[in-house]
This record gives sequence, C-alpha cells and structure tokens, in this order.
Amino acid sequence: MEEAKMPKADFVSAIVLILFGSAVVYLSAKMPTFREMGANPYSAPGIVPGFIGATIILMSIIMLVRSIIKRGHRLGITGSSIKEFFKSPSTKRMFITIALSLIYGVGLLGKIPYLLSTFLYVLVFVFVFEYRRGESFFKQYKTPMFAFVQAILTSGVIAAIFRYAFLVNLP
Amino acid sequence: MLEGLRMFGEAIVMFMKPKIIFDVFWATQLGIIVGMLPGLTATMGVALMTTLTFKMASSNAILILICMYIGAIYGGSRSAILLNIPGTPANAATAVDGYPLARQGKAGQAIGIATTGSFLGSIIGMILLAFFTPLIGNFALKFQSYEYFWLAIFGIVISGNLTAPKDPLKGWISGFLGLFVAMIGMEGIHAYIRFSFGSVKMSGGIALIPAMVGAFGFAEIIMVMKYTKLEVIKAKVGRVIPRLSDIKRYWVTIIRSGIIGTFIGAVPGVGEDIAAWVSYDFARNSSKEKEKFGKGSVEGLIAAETGNNACVAGAMIPVLSLAIPGSAPAAVLLAAMFIHGVRPGPLIMMEFPEFVFQVVAMVMLATFAMFVLGLSLVKALVRILLIPRQKLMPVVFVLCVIGSYAIQGRYFDVGVMIFFGILGYLMREMEYPVAPMVLGIILGNILDKNLRRALILSNGSLIPFFTRPISLVIFILTVITICSKMKWFRFLMGKFKQLMAKA
Repeated sequence: MEEAKMPKADFVSAIVLILFGSAVVYLSAKMPTFREMGANPYSAPGIVPGFIGATIILMSIIMLVRSIIKRGHRLGITGSSIKEFFKSPSTKRMFITIALSLIYGVGLLGKIPYLLSTFLYVLVFVFVFEYRRGESFFKQYKTPMFAFVQAILTSGVIAAIFRYAFLVNLP
Repeated sequence: MLEGLRMFGEAIVMFMKPKIIFDVFWATQLGIIVGMLPGLTATMGVALMTTLTFKMASSNAILILICMYIGAIYGGSRSAILLNIPGTPANAATAVDGYPLARQGKAGQAIGIATTGSFLGSIIGMILLAFFTPLIGNFALKFQSYEYFWLAIFGIVISGNLTAPKDPLKGWISGFLGLFVAMIGMEGIHAYIRFSFGSVKMSGGIALIPAMVGAFGFAEIIMVMKYTKLEVIKAKVGRVIPRLSDIKRYWVTIIRSGIIGTFIGAVPGVGEDIAAWVSYDFARNSSKEKEKFGKGSVEGLIAAETGNNACVAGAMIPVLSLAIPGSAPAAVLLAAMFIHGVRPGPLIMMEFPEFVFQVVAMVMLATFAMFVLGLSLVKALVRILLIPRQKLMPVVFVLCVIGSYAIQGRYFDVGVMIFFGILGYLMREMEYPVAPMVLGIILGNILDKNLRRALILSNGSLIPFFTRPISLVIFILTVITICSKMKWFRFLMGKFKQLMAKA
C-alpha cells in the first residue's frame, strides 16, 4: 500500500480494532466466574481475554488519534476511486487468487474426490493466469495443454506422495 | 561441560546411520529449494514438513525439520543473489550486496561466500546453542507465574518492536491479536469454552500450524500473485568454491555477525530477517570499506548470511529452555516437538537433557549438508528459479491445504488456513507484521495460565509482579523496549549521553 494512503488505512483499522476489542471485553465480562462453586474469583476465565481486549482498545485509540492528526479520517472515497481500485490488474489478480482458492479449499474439497478437485483447481488457476485475452485461442493452444499436463501431474504426484510415502489420509 | 560433550558425542553416533544421513541430505536439499523459491518461506517449509513427518520417530522427524529450516534460510540467498528477490524475508539483506556482485559477473563468488557465511554462522550459533541452553534452562527453573507473565508480554513487545520498526504499535497490536486467538476454545482451569459461539470445532481452539501456514503461506501466495511479474535476470554463475583469503580477511565480521545473529535469534519472536539486517548494519558501521556497501561488498554479503543462519540455532535456545520460540519457523518446530511428545521448557535439562545435545548434533549435521549441497548443483538448481509464479503458486496452495488438513484430518483446519491467509494478506497490506501474531498464538496459553495463577497466589495483588527480582527486571526491560521507540525517550537518552560525555 502507498505510504500516503497509510493514515487512512490506519484510521479504518483502528475503528475496526476498537469495535473488536470492545466486543472481546463485553464477552469476557459476561463469562462466568464460578464463584458459586467456590472457585477463586481470580481464576475466572474472562480475566485474561478481558485484559487482552482492553489493551487492544487502548492501543487502537492511540492509533486512531495518530491517524486523525495525519488527516487519515478524510477517507476521500469516491465512485471513481472505487472504480479505479477494482479496475486495477493487481486487484483483479488478488481477487481471482482468493476466489479460486476459496472455491477449491471450501467449495470442492471433501465434496468431490481429492484428485479431481486438485486437478480442476490447478488447471483453472494456470489457465486463467496464463491465457492472454485478445489473442486467438488457436495461437495459444499450448497454454491449456500445458495446464492440463501440470494439473494431472500435480494432483497425481502430491496424492501419491502423501498417501503412500507419508501415510497421510487425503481429504 | 564434559557431560554435555558426552551426550553430544552419543547423539552424533546415534545419527551416523546411512538412512539418517540420506534423510539429512534430501531434507536439506528440499529446504534449499523451498528457500530459493520466492513465495515459499522457511516457516511454510517447516510447517508442511511437520505434516509429512508426523508419523516418523520423533528424533528423525525433528532432524528433518531442522534440516529443512537451515536449508531454507540458506537457500533464500540464491534467489537474492541471482534475481535480487530474497527467497525468504531472511535474505533481504543478502540481496543488497549479493545482486550487485552477480551483476558484476561474480555470481559464483557471491554464492560461495554466502554458503561459507551461512556455514560459519550456523557453526557459531550451534556452539552458543550448546553453551547457553543448559544455562538458561537452569536459570528458568527459578521462574514462577509472575515471571512467565512478564516474559510473555516482553516477547510480544520486543517482537512487535523489531518486526515493525516503522510503527511498533502495529507490531504490538498484531501480538495481542495473536494472544486473543489463543483464548479461543477450552481454557485450562475450569474447562470453560471461550469465544466458540456454539461451534464444536472452535471449542477445540485454533491450531497453530493451519494458522501459520495461512498467515505465512497463503498470504504470500496472494501477495506474489497480486504484484507485478518477477523478472528473471540471467546471471553467469562461474566459480563457486570460496577463496580462503575472503574468509580470512573478514573473520572479525564473521564472528561478530554470528554472535549478533544468535542473540537476536534467542529473542522471542524475532527472526532471521532482523538478525541479517542488524548484522549487516554492524558490519557497515565498523567497515573500512563503507562505500562498497550496497554496491557489491563481500563483507556486507558475508555479514548478512552469517547473521541469518546463526539466528536459526539462536532461535532454538528459547525453544528448548523456555518453550518460547525465537522465530516463526522455530514456532512450528516447537509445535512439532509437542506433537512428537517432546516437552521442551525449563524442565528439559532435568527430564531429557540428551535431547538438547541431540538438537545440537542435528544442527551440525544439517549445517554440513547445507555446505556440501550449497557448493554443488548450483547451475542445475538455478533452473528452478525460472518456474513462472502462476505455475508454482497453485502447487504451493495445494500443499498448504493438505498440510493444514493432514495433522487432524479436519476440513475446519483448511478453513482456518484460508481465513488466516486472507487476514495475513490484509495485515501485510496495512503494514501489520504477522510474526508477533503467531508468537501471540503460542504465548497466549502461557499468559492465560500464569496471569490467573499469579493472581490466585497473590490473592489479587499486583505488587509481586513488580517486587520479585526477576519479574522486576523483565518488567523494566519491557518498559524500556516500549519507550525506546518514543521521541521523548530518545531525546532524554540523547541528553543523558551528552551529560555523560561532559562528565
């Protein structure tokens, strides 16, 4: 992230952390103390998380004040800045990486056979990032071909090594 | 002392078997490959290897993990020299002088010097590991809950300071977030389930390895895929075998960097990257050839590489003596030791002293393997660096998934890995270091048990936290560490130095 944008990021993250710390303190305060069972009140399970939550709030307040001094509260979010963010190639690459990994790790794994899900993930990942839009498919026929071979090799070799060499139960 | 040497000798004899030597070589070579590939870090390598070795005998498994760790930290120098891209964060300082040397056509010499520096750094670290672990372990027997509480806080504070030098507040916040993560699940005194929101899976807590694989592995994949393409520069490798004159010329730098690296490694949560930078900085400040630094200085390169590899052995000192990790990969190593039934900590010198010297022997074997492998197969391994990231990263993610899943066989852990990956990515974007968070996850349990135990012992009084001698020393160190980053403190220290100079 650019240095100039850091106070804005700090402002937002400080607010999120203050809310988070407050929730932690609130939930910790609601935890039982087990006094009625004769337990020492200082053994209450909420003491340490409460301390952690309060420290997070304190540190986040310092960060919030600092970001406001650096004018981080002037977020300057406009329609065009959001558009620019989403249009940027690096943002697209980041979202594609997260989306594909989520589909594989949360969506496919355990629902279809491991070999197939891994094969599909590697194939799609390599293809999506290597395929050049605007160029004819026939000119770059090697891209899906190599992606296919890599996907077969990756899924097969990893499955075999983990299953037979390291005796790990596959998903 | 003699007892220690005897146990070390026995450990060496125990490991001198063809199968074990073979394991040492393949694990170190794999570590070098993992380290040299940008996007694969030592932490991730050790974490993935933990899953692969958890059905092996404990000494074999830990030996393989140490080989992977030492190999990876060294391996990162290869891409730093040839591509100007540190293979692991530990090799960032290596790139400063290694890459200019490669551009001057001295890539082979740079690789040779980096290998020798890493070797000597590791040897110095190993000697200090053997010497200090028993001493600290025996001293730590005097620690009670009050001291452990301050030790946990000190670990977070110093780790935050050193991993976020621009803004330590972010490092401390990251550490406290890690402490919070450790609070999730069943606590140890009343068996009360905290922050699980009714989820049975969360009631068991967040496992360290999936969280680490996510925070270091998946987050790195997102970063690598997001930013611009890596440009591979073809450098001529040439002669790799180092010249003795280079080593003789910089022996003071080597010893100084080795000692600095080891001590930084021993500081909880502060890893090889900081060790390399501090060693580099010291070398530059005391060099007679300051002007060469950044333009291809052999001294700078040797300082960085000696520092980061010495740190590996240094990071194991608190692992063995206090059960507190000195760096992120050492945190995984600590978790692996627990998985294999070894209980490091102050009692290790009474319960299982042989293990400490076995670890020293493991470091020695891995160091020799690294030296041999580092000077051979150089040209062949350079080809691995040419693998495009879009081909490599899906394979890495598949390994992250299986690595998270394999230990407990739960899909929940894959979800944990993905969650921490996205969180780790967001944290990096906003310049929150991830290492203190991981340290927090480990120290959370120590903090939780010891703070409550101490309050019960003192009947709620905070006075013993500040009046017990060791407790007071750690508290003062914590305060100084926090204040050292504040302007008013630096101003006062400056004035104090001026007064002292006048006096």
